[in-house]
Amino acid sequence: MTHEDEHRRAWFRREILPLEPDLLAYARQFCRDGQSDPEDLVHETFARAIACKTWREISNPGAFATRILRNCALDALRRRKVLTITAVADFERIEPIDEAPGVHAVLESREELQALADAIAELPTQCRRVFTMRKVYSLSPDEIAVRLGLSVSTVEKHLAKGLRYCSDKLGRRIGRRNKVDEGRSWSARRDQDAKR
Amino acid sequence: MERETGSRREAVRQAAAQWVVRLDDASCSDADRAAFEVWRGESFENEAAYEREAAAWTRLERVRVYRPADVRIDADLLAPVRRPKLKSLSGSSWARGLAACAMAGLVAAGALSFGTSTAYATAIGERRVVVLSDNSRIELNTDSKVVVRYRKGVREVRLMRGEAVFEAARDARPFVVKAADAVLSADGVSEMAVRLRSDGAIVTVKKGAVELDPTPNRQQAELRLKAGVAAIYDSAGSRSREISDSEIDRSLAWRQGAIALNGQSLEQAVAEFNRYNRQQIRIADPSISSLRLAGYFQTTEPQSFVSAVTHAFSVRAAEGQDGTIRLSRRS
Repeated sequence: MTHEDEHRRAWFRREILPLEPDLLAYARQFCRDGQSDPEDLVHETFARAIACKTWREISNPGAFATRILRNCALDALRRRKVLTITAVADFERIEPIDEAPGVHAVLESREELQALADAIAELPTQCRRVFTMRKVYSLSPDEIAVRLGLSVSTVEKHLAKGLRYCSDKLGRRIGRRNKVDEGRSWSARRDQDAKR
Repeated sequence: MERETGSRREAVRQAAAQWVVRLDDASCSDADRAAFEVWRGESFENEAAYEREAAAWTRLERVRVYRPADVRIDADLLAPVRRPKLKSLSGSSWARGLAACAMAGLVAAGALSFGTSTAYATAIGERRVVVLSDNSRIELNTDSKVVVRYRKGVREVRLMRGEAVFEAARDARPFVVKAADAVLSADGVSEMAVRLRSDGAIVTVKKGAVELDPTPNRQQAELRLKAGVAAIYDSAGSRSREISDSEIDRSLAWRQGAIALNGQSLEQAVAEFNRYNRQQIRIADPSISSLRLAGYFQTTEPQSFVSAVTHAFSVRAAEGQDGTIRLSRRS
């Protein structure tokens, strides 16, 4: 079964993870009253999506993920002790998205590279140094520990902290779609495929 | 209440990030790996959080291109103020220029009239930027190799394998690229892409101008290529044509880690993907090889490409025992 699990995770990486900025934007619509956290909704959506054993049958991952997110938002609403009027009104107003929110192949552009470097530059000094030695110079945590006079576990903590910062930053990155013009996009065909 | 869920989410993501860091360390023990499997198996929440952090970790691999050609490790390379923009890497400090100079085996002030040569190469799927002592840049595509030989009177680079972009900086010495018998001389500051073919090569001039001498040993007219011109030469001769900026951008999409298709056949597209990946794609059914494609894909994601093809056409994909993806017509 491990092989099958690996296929399922690869599908999640390929089709669902790149949707994060779109899902976050969608989730914000359910959180206008400040009672729910859009990041939590996306986090829960990911957990439910990766659990899908029948992923091969999903022809439109964007629609699939937004449907899950909507359900997560609804569940969050039901769990609340106090319902706000706006939350309920919002829920009725927001239509489920039936097409894929974005193009699935993330454009690996020079801007993305710049964004990655910017994210690293924003880390606290020591964390940034450790991160740079690991990711730019490909040094092992052991080597970094020796060079900077730190313990290996401190190096690992810095790396995990830096990664957490960068992964959130990447997940919030918007404007990705603007970079994709029709000539570069499969979305037109894919959408037709989904609407059959 | 909401704050509680937020901190729970953070705790899970934090744990995931720690596992990503640990598992990517070569000294990670079997016991650690087993503990990871247990942790991941605990919930789909853990499993998804791990994939999310691992994906970001992988995307961050790209910052390796910021690494300068010198050997010194600079932990402050990406510090907010002095971080070089990728485009202006060539404009970096004197110290780095000197270090690169030493690395290239050159002696400053031209004391040596015959320098040694330095080879730079990339593996399949790898890209690399080399900044030379004179601030000229070479960007190597997948599975490529160049040999740099800077001498007193000439800056010479030979393309041995694959494809590269050469950005010649201003210098008193001429900048010359040798590829498949031909000699390409940059006229001042210029930028050219050269890709070797089974016979000959294709040159695209993006900036400046380049003199193409396809057969240096025979007396034949040289070809002057201006910016926006591409030339193909082989044993049969050479020909050039003007190409648009967007065509140039598409042919150089690999510099952004992408393959840009604009009406190429499936056969050509597959050949292109196979350059970048160990996992190969084969067309098992000749009747589909002439399907025309357009789209923008990551070079290292043949799966996304295959998934797009099977969504758009009546094409089926099957993965063989050796990992090869076979494409055939869906009945």
